[in-house]
Order: sequence, then C-alpha cells, then structure tokens
Amino acid sequence: MTYDCVIVGAGPAGMSAAIELANAGARVLVLDRAPRAGGQIFRSAANSPLSDSGALGTDYTAGSKLIERFEASNAEHLSEADVWHVGEDGTVLYTQDGIPRTVQTREILLCPGAMERPMPIPGWTLPGVMTAGAAQVMLKSDAMVAERAIFAGSGPLLYLIVAQYLRLGVKVAALVDTTPRRNYLTSLPKVPGALRSWPMMFKGLGMMREIASSGIPVFKGASNLRVLGQDMATGLEFGCREQQRVMSNHVFLHHGVIPHSNISRSLGLSHIWNAAQHCWQVQTDAWGQSSVPHVSVAGDGAGIIGADAAQSAGRLTALNILKRLGRLTPAERDRKASEDHAVLAKMAPFRAFIDQLYGPSKCLCLPQQADTIVCRCEERRLQDLKEGFEQGARDPNALKSLTRCGMGPCQGRQCGPIVSSLLADWRQEPEAQVGYYRLRSPQRLLSLEELSRFQSRPRGGAE
Amino acid sequence: MNADVLIIGGGIQGCSTAYHLARSGASVIVLEKDYIARHASGVNAGGVRLLGRDLAEMPLSKASMEMWQLLDDILEEDTGFRQKSVINIAVDEVDIATLKARDKKMQALGHSHERMIDQAELREILPHVHASCVGGAVSDMDGYALPYQATNAFRRAARRFGARFIEGQALNHLRQIGPVWIARTQDKTYEASTVVNCAGAWADQVAMQIGDNVPLSHAAPMLMITARLPHFTGPVVGAVSRQLSFKQFENGTVLIGGGAKGFADRANNTTRLDYAKLARAAKTAIEFFPIMRSASINRMWAGLEAYMPDNLPVISPAANADNAFHAFGFSAHGFQMGPIVGKVMADLVLTGKSDFDLSAFRIDRYDRKTL
Ligand SMILES: Cc1cc2nc3c(=O)[nH]c(=O)nc-3n(C[C@H](O)[C@H](O)[C@H](O)COP(=O)(O)OP(=O)(O)OC[C@H]3O[C@@H](n4cnc5c(N)ncnc54)[C@H](O)[C@@H]3O)c2cc1C
Ligand SMILES: Cc1cc2nc3c(=O)[nH]c(=O)nc-3n(C[C@H](O)[C@H](O)[C@H](O)COP(=O)(O)OP(=O)(O)OC[C@H]3O[C@@H](n4cnc5c(N)ncnc54)[C@H](O)[C@@H]3O)c2cc1C
Repeated sequence: MTYDCVIVGAGPAGMSAAIELANAGARVLVLDRAPRAGGQIFRSAANSPLSDSGALGTDYTAGSKLIERFEASNAEHLSEADVWHVGEDGTVLYTQDGIPRTVQTREILLCPGAMERPMPIPGWTLPGVMTAGAAQVMLKSDAMVAERAIFAGSGPLLYLIVAQYLRLGVKVAALVDTTPRRNYLTSLPKVPGALRSWPMMFKGLGMMREIASSGIPVFKGASNLRVLGQDMATGLEFGCREQQRVMSNHVFLHHGVIPHSNISRSLGLSHIWNAAQHCWQVQTDAWGQSSVPHVSVAGDGAGIIGADAAQSAGRLTALNILKRLGRLTPAERDRKASEDHAVLAKMAPFRAFIDQLYGPSKCLCLPQQADTIVCRCEERRLQDLKEGFEQGARDPNALKSLTRCGMGPCQGRQCGPIVSSLLADWRQEPEAQVGYYRLRSPQRLLSLEELSRFQSRPRGGAE
Repeated sequence: MNADVLIIGGGIQGCSTAYHLARSGASVIVLEKDYIARHASGVNAGGVRLLGRDLAEMPLSKASMEMWQLLDDILEEDTGFRQKSVINIAVDEVDIATLKARDKKMQALGHSHERMIDQAELREILPHVHASCVGGAVSDMDGYALPYQATNAFRRAARRFGARFIEGQALNHLRQIGPVWIARTQDKTYEASTVVNCAGAWADQVAMQIGDNVPLSHAAPMLMITARLPHFTGPVVGAVSRQLSFKQFENGTVLIGGGAKGFADRANNTTRLDYAKLARAAKTAIEFFPIMRSASINRMWAGLEAYMPDNLPVISPAANADNAFHAFGFSAHGFQMGPIVGKVMADLVLTGKSDFDLSAFRIDRYDRKTL
C-alpha cells in the first residue's frame, strides 16, 4: 500500500494542503524535520519557549490555530523526519530516530519553504556573523537573543526581526538599511496596487514606525558593507553619506528570501529565473504542478509569496492533486478553487511592490572583492572562480569540477545562486542561459552508519 | 569547419587522442555534446591501477602507468596524480587461493609488479583494517589522479598544439563521401579525412554510423564521498571477493566505490542512484574499517560507463570503413588507460599500425562468420 500524497514540509503551505487532502479522504503523510508543525513563520508557535510570545506578533500567535486544525485532521504527520531524497518514481527517503526509511507515494508535494539569500560581503563568513533568519530561529525555538547586535540588509523580514527584538526589550546596536534610495521612487507606481492589500501595508508601515520611534540608530541607503574583524566579527563598516563604523560582535545579515530548491533541483524539475525576484524558482503551472506531472510544489518553495498566500497556494495545489487522484472532477476543482485564486490575485500587486522596493542590489548579491569568500566549505574566493572561468569553465558544473567551489558539505546550497549570477555577469548572458549546479541527493550529510541502516522496505508496505 | 581528424567525444580517450595527434602536427577537432569530461572521465574514482588488470590489457596498462608517472611534466599541467600503493584485501583462504592462482600466472608471464602480503604486513600497512582479514595483494606502482583535472590537462595541452574543442555540439549524423567524412550536429557541419570514435557510453551509436555493429552496453557505477576525515589510510583499498573500494585523498575526504550500479538513463544523459545498494556498500566499508562508521557522506553520484561483454575495450580500426577508428568500451577501468590509448590511436591514425598487439580489442571480435 502506498500513500496518495506525501508532503515535504509542515509550514503554512504543507499544512493547508494536508488538511484539504485529508478532508477529501486521501491518504496523506506529512514529513518535517522540525519537532512541531508550523514551518518558518509559525516555528514553535504551538509550544513557544517565550513567556510572552505575543511579542512576536499576532501573525505568529494566529499560527497556532492552523497548527491545531492540521493536527486534528486525518493527515499523518511525522515530526523530526528529515527528508534526504525524493525520487521521480515516488520514493521518498527520510531519516527519523537515526534510521533511514522509505515511503512510496502516488503524488509528491514539496513545501520546503524559503531560505535567505546569501549576502557575500567581505567578512560574511566570520564567527559572529549570521543571517537574521537564523537569529530569529534561535529566538523562536530556544528563546535565545544577542544583545547589541547589528542588523544589516533590507526587506520586510529584517524589519520584522528587529521589531521582535525591540518588543522583547533587547538592545539593538543599529539597523543598517541597504535599500537603495532610488527604490522608493521606482516602486511608487506600484503603491496604488499594493494598497489593495492595505492591512499588509498598514502592518509594514507600523513596523517601520515602531523601529524609528525606538531610537535605535538607523542608517538608510547604506552601501559598501564590510564586516570588521580578523578571527571574529567586531563590527560593521559601511558608507552612508560618509564612512561609518558600528562596533558589535554580532552582525545579522538579511536581504530577502529565495525558494528552497534543493529537492526540486535534485529531482531534475525544470527551473526558471525570476527576474523580478532575482532568484531561481521551480517551474509550475497555476496549480503548482511541476514539469513532472505527479510532483507539485507550493508555498515559498515554489516562488516567494509569503505566509498568507502560501496557505492559499497549498490548498489550490491540493485541489489539483485531488483531481489527479480522481477524487474531484475538473469542474469541482475549479469551483472550490475560485476563492483562493482570487486571494492570490489580490495579493499579487502587494508582492510586486515589495519586490520592487526591496529588490536586492547587485553589489550585495555578488562578491565585489577578489578575496571575498564565495564557497565557505571549500574556502573558494572570487579570484579562484574568476581564474577557473578564464581557464574555460563557463558552466556552473564545469566551474565546480575545476575549482571545487560547491563541493563541500553544503554541496553548493549556499554558493549556487552566487555562482550562477557571477557566471551570468562574466558571460554577459542571463542566468537562464547560464544554468545552475546539478544537485544530487542526499540533501544533507549522512553518516555511513546511518546509510548502512537503510530500511528499504517501504513504510506501510507490508499491508 | 575542416580538420585532418575529427574525434567524437571529449572524455579522456578523446582528449588524449587529440593531444597525441596534435603534437604530431595533425589538425584536430574534438566534438563533445556536453562539456569536456562531463561523463565517465570527469566523475570516475580516479583509480590509476595495474593491480588486478586483465592480462590482455597488461602491456597497454603498464605502458600507461609509466606515462602517468611523468604525465604532469609531459603535459605541463597538474593531473593530480599521486603514486600510492593499492591493496586488495583477502578475507579468507578462498581469497588467498584466488590471489595465489593469479600470482602464478603473472609470474609465468614475467609480471612482477604485484606481490602477496600476509596478515601481519596487511595490518602494518592498514592499521585500521578489521582483525579478521587474512592477507592480500599489493601493487606499489599504482596510484590515483583527479579525473576532471586530468582529462582537462589533456585538453589544454592539446589546445596548445592547435587542437580545437567544440563543446555543446552533438554529432547527429555521420557519413563518408569519397575520402571525406561529413559530420553534422544540430547546426554545424564538419569535414575530416579521418574520424575517431571516443564516444564512451554512446559509442555504439557512433559506430553504427561508421558502419560497425558492436555489442556495447552501458551502466552507471556509483560512488560516494565523505566530508574530510583525519588521515587513516595511505593506500588505495579494495577487496578480492567483496564490493569494496576506497581511497582517502590528501584533503581528507574518502571516496567509496566498489562497483555497485545505479540506473543508467543514457537517452536523457543522466543516472539515478540505487540507495539500497549504496547502503550495502556503506555496510561493507564499515565492516572492513570500523573507523569509518561515523564518517559523513557528502555526495553520492553515478557516471555513465560503456561495457563490452568481455570487459575489455575496443581499440581498433573500423571493420567496415576506411579512415575510421574506435576507442571505447573501457568497462569501468579506462581512466588509467587514457594516456596510452591516445598514443595508440594517434599511431593508428597516422601510420596505420601500433607497437601493441591489439587483437584482443578488435571491434569485430564478436562477429560470427556463421550463425
Ligand atoms: C529564516 C526564515 C524566517 C522567516 N520568518 C518569517 C516570519 O517570522 N514571518 C513571516 O511572515 N515570514 C517569515 N518567513 C517567510 C516564510 O518562509 C514564509 O512566509 C512562510 O513560512 C512560507 O510557508 P511555507 O509553507 O512555504 O514554508 P515554511 O514555513 O518555510 O515551511 C517549510 C517546512 O519544510 C520543512 N522542510 C524543508 N526541507 C525539509 C526536508 N528536507 N526534510 C524535512 N522537512 C523539511 C521545514 O522544516 C519547514 O518546517 C521566514 C523565512 C525564513 C527563511
Ligand atoms: C563511477 C565510475 C568510476 C570509475 N572508476 C575508475 C577508476 O577508478 N579507474 C579507472 O581506470 N577507470 C574508472 N572508471 C572508468 C573510466 O571512467 C572510463 O573507462 C573512462 O573515463 C572512459 O573514457 P571515455 O573517454 O571513453 O568516455 P567518456 O568520459 O564517457 O567520454 C565520452 C564522451 O563522448 C561524448 N559523446 C557521446 N556521444 C556523442 C556524440 N554523438 N556527439 C558528441 N559527443 C558525444 C559524451 O558526452 C562523453 O563526454 C570509472 C567509471 C565510472 C563511471
């Protein structure tokens, strides 16, 4: 016996899809490596270690409602189940309690969410530097915070985390905002459309006001960032009218999120370059169906849309899967989908505005100095890659084979987007032409002993 | 575009052939459908070994081994070659008997590069090997190189002698009109008086266009590599009767092979892994070397390799056409042979002969006169 659908990821997208599928009677299994359902936004929302989780915002606490509905549904959920291979043949391999196991499924739904866009400024790999999202994970999961940290970059998530810090009474050394000043102008034409989602606009503006009135130093239009320090971060240097320095042992970087595409890449699904969001994303139709018909992708993992839209996208994708399973007629699917399609359409202009306003600047996406590290694992610097390119490695995979950039333990999950855009820059061709690393399973390091314990008989297979 | 010689396939055989031809003054074009060293030649285990070779291959393999020792200097490039002894471990008396029988044959033929070792010496060379292993065979001349780098070393050296490498162009159509071979790709045409088929796992398709049928098959041997580990073994390790093969590189990573095969999807240019088999390979590695238990696997992959029924390559003039030659079907041990194969092919193309007896490698060795 096999599952009708296995979902990877119990965030807003995965949970919403699972509820829809389970309510229609499909046999669903949701796998997530986290101890509780919730995904990035609602991480630990149902069991927060914080005494006052209200400080994280109403969005956060609202998450527990969705989690409750998910947990009450008939969808099976395995927590701490880390998926490390998804095969086109419907095999999903994951490890739980140190033992790799396999499940078989007719339909696969990937809801792996987003990751933060790498920000390869000089010194970005020094101890003490991390992504703002990682700082937020520590806050949500372990109630850990860093006093007097510098937050640098741009985008709503960065401001949200700063606001969450401030509400908890944690001192912040500075917010170094890299949003180029001209973006405020170029995004103006998109404001009227965005106002259709006025509650979101309102929330965003409120957050900005909260930060401004807190009195922390805010540097707008900052450029030429460099983390100071030899063996660990001691501060951040940047230009903002004049050369500025803020000292701190904690530097949190963030300039937007991009879809997590490791699984979709390893599966060999088609990907496209999204110029507006300046990132790669898996190619899907309006129902989240990928280039392999029985594999669908929903939520931020299919293209950045945010948590609210992720829930709609999850439900829509589930409806289409139900159609594919023969549980809904096309007409029933379309009827049930109309509301969520409308929600997504309504949110699109707001997303377009955010994309325009906080579009990442090229000089933060691409390393600017010869000795800036691109690949942390193998310590490959910009100059090493340039040399490889000049020796004739024009393809990301050829460059990887030649320079070992992307061959270390993270398998290019961090440097992939950088390398692709660097080659695009050097070749003077669009990213779509340049392509991306060929990624392979496993999705993470696997110990030899763990692999040797692999149980090749599928879960539920004996029935 | 015109050349004296058109080589189909930019793996190590194609690149080495291009190098030897270009060095002798021939004008050469190499046509590669993907990029140089994209397939077996760039993703193999890098083993440069004589140990355990089929006796028919021994003269070629030995000559190649001598070239490997000097290759970096000859090519003025870095192939990553390191001399390292290779050990085949015996787990029981049956294995010892197998090794003894081979030893006898080798001595009769005057080959002296392999020697048998007993349990004590095995333990001395491999302190971490499981206590139950009883002995083995060693070849001290062997070693390894970095596949992608070595193949590209031939490419760059060849280019210095004027060879042209065309990447991203697949040969779609090939025919001989009078003295000229005309090769068509998706959007270009090439002309040459001689063609050399070095098309690896696709070589039967090219052979057919030349006029030769050949029982070539293809498969996808799998490998896995660990994250860096403290140094625990110098030699390259294999086993007589078990699927085990691994080596630790200078950077500490350990490459584990052993011959387990995944799924080869030649038409789509890709492979799929068989995790159950990889799990068995992991188990075997731990059984022999318990110290590997906690090693982290970083990457697993497979490469498309061409196999002949007798596991011997085709190194041969075409049977049914003039001015056409083949070098393919290396059956998972052709990386080591790359340097000499290029030399042999250049000799065949330029003089029609070779210093080596190539009768075991004829393309028509499976043709039957009668049904
Ligand atoms: C670090 C970070 C923090 C964020 N914080 C916020 C926030 O506070 N507020 C906000 O509005 N938006 C936040 N976002 C944006 C957020 O990603 C989306 O708005 C929303 O969570 C997307 O929902 P989703 O279901 O698509 O993915 P997610 O919510 O990200 O859920 C994906 C789930 O998949 C699981 N998963 C992924 N790969 C595997 C695997 N191989 N095996 C097992 N499980 C796997 C993850 O554990 C995760 O639970 C954050 C994004 C990031 C990257
Ligand atoms: C996983 C693995 C491990 C191995 N380990 C070892 C080892 O340790 N030691 C050892 O000696 N050997 C090893 N081998 C074997 C070795 O890699 C091969 O025998 C050798 O690389 C073959 O070289 P080649 O040039 O014939 O083939 P390839 O490297 O496959 O090159 C053939 C090329 O031809 C191109 N081509 C095909 N058709 C066309 C067309 N129509 N038009 C244009 N181009 C075309 C292909 O794209 C390909 O790049 C291993 C092989 C594998 C897969």
